[in-house]
Amino acid sequence: MAMTSMTASKVRQGGWLDLGFERRRTLLSLALLMPAAATVLVLIVYPLYQVFEISLREGKVMNFARIGTLPLGFGNYARVLSDPQFWRSTSTSAIYVAGSVGAALAIGLATALLLNRRLPGTRIFRTLILIPWAVPGVIVSIMFLWIMDGSFGVFNAMLRDLGLLTGDHAWFVDSRTALIAVIIPTIWKTYPLITLTILAALQSIPTELYDAAEVDGAKAVQKFFHVTWPGIQGATALVVMVSCLGVFRDVDIIFATTGGGPAHATETLALYVYKEAFQYFRMGAATAVGTMMIAFALLLSILLGAVARRSKY
Amino acid sequence: MKIGTVLSWVALLGFALVTLFPFYWMVMTAIMPTDAILSRSPSLLPDLSRIRFDAFGGIFARSEFPTWMMNSLIIGVLTTFFSIVVSTLAGYSLSRHAGVVQQSLGATLLISKLIPASLILIPLFILYNLLGIFDTYLGLVLANMTISVPLASWLMKGFFDRIPRELEQAAMIDGASQMQALRLIVLPLAKPGIAAATVYVMLNSWSEFIFARTLIASPERQVLTVGMQSFVGEQMVDWQLLMAAGTVSILPAILLFVFLEPFLVNGMTKGALAGT
Repeated sequence: MAMTSMTASKVRQGGWLDLGFERRRTLLSLALLMPAAATVLVLIVYPLYQVFEISLREGKVMNFARIGTLPLGFGNYARVLSDPQFWRSTSTSAIYVAGSVGAALAIGLATALLLNRRLPGTRIFRTLILIPWAVPGVIVSIMFLWIMDGSFGVFNAMLRDLGLLTGDHAWFVDSRTALIAVIIPTIWKTYPLITLTILAALQSIPTELYDAAEVDGAKAVQKFFHVTWPGIQGATALVVMVSCLGVFRDVDIIFATTGGGPAHATETLALYVYKEAFQYFRMGAATAVGTMMIAFALLLSILLGAVARRSKY
Repeated sequence: MKIGTVLSWVALLGFALVTLFPFYWMVMTAIMPTDAILSRSPSLLPDLSRIRFDAFGGIFARSEFPTWMMNSLIIGVLTTFFSIVVSTLAGYSLSRHAGVVQQSLGATLLISKLIPASLILIPLFILYNLLGIFDTYLGLVLANMTISVPLASWLMKGFFDRIPRELEQAAMIDGASQMQALRLIVLPLAKPGIAAATVYVMLNSWSEFIFARTLIASPERQVLTVGMQSFVGEQMVDWQLLMAAGTVSILPAILLFVFLEPFLVNGMTKGALAGT
C-alpha cells in the first residue's frame, strides 16, 4: 500500500521515473495494437509470404491446398521472362502509368496554381474538381465507355462537329487507340488528388517569400522557379509516386472497359497477373510476375521517396 | 478586374466543365428520351419539356439492382465498422508509442500500398477455399480490410497526433486510468477524425471491384460495382438504363463527398500519402 502511494506521488512528480507505470502503458499500447497487428499478419503478411512461396513452386496442381507439395525452383520466373506477353504487358504498363500520371500531373499542377489565386468562387471549383476522386473506377469506366462509344458517343459527335473526324471511331475497340482510350478516364480519376496535394503545398509557402522576390525585381517565371517550385517539389514528388503506384497496381478501369483487349493491347502487368491466376489458373506464373511487380514498386518508391525527402526544406 | 484574373477564371471554368461533363452526360442520358441521345449528333443541352424519369423506375424494376445496392451497403458498413474500431485503437497506439511493433506496422502500411489487389487475391482465394469463407460477406469484408486497416490506422494516428498528450496526462494525474483517459478525453476529441476516416473507408469499400468480382460467386451476394460491370458485357447495352443506374450508384458517394469535403480534404491527402 505504501509502495502504491509512493508510486503515485512519483507519477505526479514525473511519470518517467516509474518503470511499473511505464510498463503498464507499454502493455496497454501493445494491446490496443493487437487487433490491427493480427489483421495485418493474417491478411497481408502471411498472404504475401504465400505469394512468394507459390512463385517458387514448379508445376501445376488441381487442388490448391496441395500447392506446397510441388518442388521448389525458379521455373515460373524463367517461364514468365520468356513469355513475349509479359514483356508486352511491361511496356503497356509503362506507357499506361507514364501517360496517365504525366497528363494528370500537368492538369493537377495547372488547376492547383489556378485555385491558389483565390479568385471568387474557387472554393466551389475546388469541391467540384475533386469529385472524380470519389467515383468508383467501374462507374468511371461506364461513363467513358458511353461518351467514347463508336457510333453514338458524344465525344465522336463533337470531333465530327469540329471536323476532326469523319464517320465513326470505336476508341476502346480499335487496338491502335485502346490504350489512349483507357488512359483518358484514368487521368480524369487521378488528377484531383494531385491538384489537392499541390494546392496544400502552395498554401503553405509563406507570402513573404513572394514579397521578397518582388522587391528583388523577380518576374513571374522567376518567381515560379525560385519560390513556388522549391516549395512544392517535395509534395509533388510524393503525390506523383503515390499516383504511379496506384495506377500501376490498379486493374478496375481497364478490366471494366477493355478487359485487356483488343488482342492484349491494354493488358497491363496487374491485369496479366489476374488473367494468369483466375483465367488460366497458372498461380505460379501469376505470383512470379506479382513478386517482380512488388520488388519494382518498392525500388521505385525508395528512389522517389529519397528524392522527395531531400527536397523538403 | 485585371485581364490575368479573368483569364485564370476562364481557364478554371474550362477545367471544371471538362471534369463535370461525364456526370452531366450520364444524367442527360438517363433523363432524355432515347431518340434524343442515341443520335449521331445529340443536342448537348437538355430539352426541358422532354425530361423523363422512367429509366430510374426501370432500374428498380430490374430485380438485381436493389440487391446489389443492398449488398454494397452491407459490405460497406461491415468493412467500415471493423476497420474503424481496429484502426482507432491502433492509431492511438501508433501516435503515443514508437516501439518496434509500431514501426513494423508502419512499414507494412507502405508495403500494402505496393501490393496489386489482383496479386493478394491469389493467396486469399486459396486461403478462403481452405477456410470455407469463399463466396461469403465475411470473406469480402476481410479482403477489403487489407486495404482499409493500414490506411485508416495511419489516418487515425495523424488525428491523434494533433491531440496534445498533456490532456490525457492531466486526466491520469487526476486519477483516471489510461483506458479511461482514452475513452473520456481522447476519443471525444478525435470524433471529427473518426468521422473523416469512416467516410474515407466507406467510399473505398463502395468503390471496390476486383475483390468482389473474384471472391463472391453467388449473384444474390454480388455488389454494385460488379453488377454494373456485368451490364457492359451484354450484347446490346441499354445505355439509358445503365446511366440511370450509374447516377443512382454514385449519388450517395457524391453527396457524402460534397458535404464532408472540408473534413475529408485533409484526410484525403493524408490518407493517400500516409506512410511515405
